[in-house]
Amino acid sequence: MSSRRSRSRQSGSSRITDEQISDLVSKLQDLLPEARLRSNDRMPSSRVLQETCDYIRNLHREVDDLSERLSELLATSDMSSAQAAIIRSLLM
Amino acid sequence: MDIKSTPPPPPHQITNPSRRAFLAWAAASPSKPMLAFHFLRSLSRIQGVTPVRRRTRTIRRAAYSSMARAASPRRAWSRALLGQARARRSRTLTGRALLLRRRVTAAAPAPPSSPAARSARIIAAGGETSAAARPLPPRQVGDPPRADALRRLVPGGAGMEYCSLLEETADYLRSLRAQVQLMQGLVDLFSCQ
Repeated sequence: MSSRRSRSRQSGSSRITDEQISDLVSKLQDLLPEARLRSNDRMPSSRVLQETCDYIRNLHREVDDLSERLSELLATSDMSSAQAAIIRSLLM
Repeated sequence: MDIKSTPPPPPHQITNPSRRAFLAWAAASPSKPMLAFHFLRSLSRIQGVTPVRRRTRTIRRAAYSSMARAASPRRAWSRALLGQARARRSRTLTGRALLLRRRVTAAAPAPPSSPAARSARIIAAGGETSAAARPLPPRQVGDPPRADALRRLVPGGAGMEYCSLLEETADYLRSLRAQVQLMQGLVDLFSCQ
């Protein structure tokens, strides 16, 4: 069962190859927000990691901001009937 | 005479565009309805129980917990987030200890919404623990540059092999993005009411 493209069999722990790692890195690159602008050009993996870190930080910041906005909306609007309607339509 | 050209849309109608957009988002992938369900359930509990001044923080924690609950338990980041939430609950003070802590924090000058405290929360948001409480993960031998920054951002990233870290990051990123989309959709929805 040698479907893996591993060329070198390291003795001991890992059978992880550079190819597998660059495959994972390119999957990460495709998740980045401007993936479609870059078409299929591969960025160096350090750049991919850097952009991924920035993207994750941005998303964390957005979660913070949206939590604050939701907190304000919870205080001012009557959400319970809207929520019940949403949950019903989601689970139908 | 009212200068607004259109009256506000009647609430709870299926023709509400925000409602349609939200349901379209939820139908886009199988995990999204469960994400929405967990989060909405937490929100209604928060609305009933949590005092106003702690709502933002509680909502943020509910966001990460919902993400983790909706994700597969095979994911290390999801287990890490749920473990952190459990640890936080067991650290919660009760009774006299809580009273004493309140007296101490009432004397402290910094308000919770100050920019410094807020940026500290943002930095800690990924793992939901402050940098002071948790030692920085040791730099692993053979890591490429910037992998340590990624390890700090992805929950549970500290002890993983580099290869697993990349996989976990991709999954975490997808879930995080879906959570942000969910929250934005809810904000749009509830702003229209």
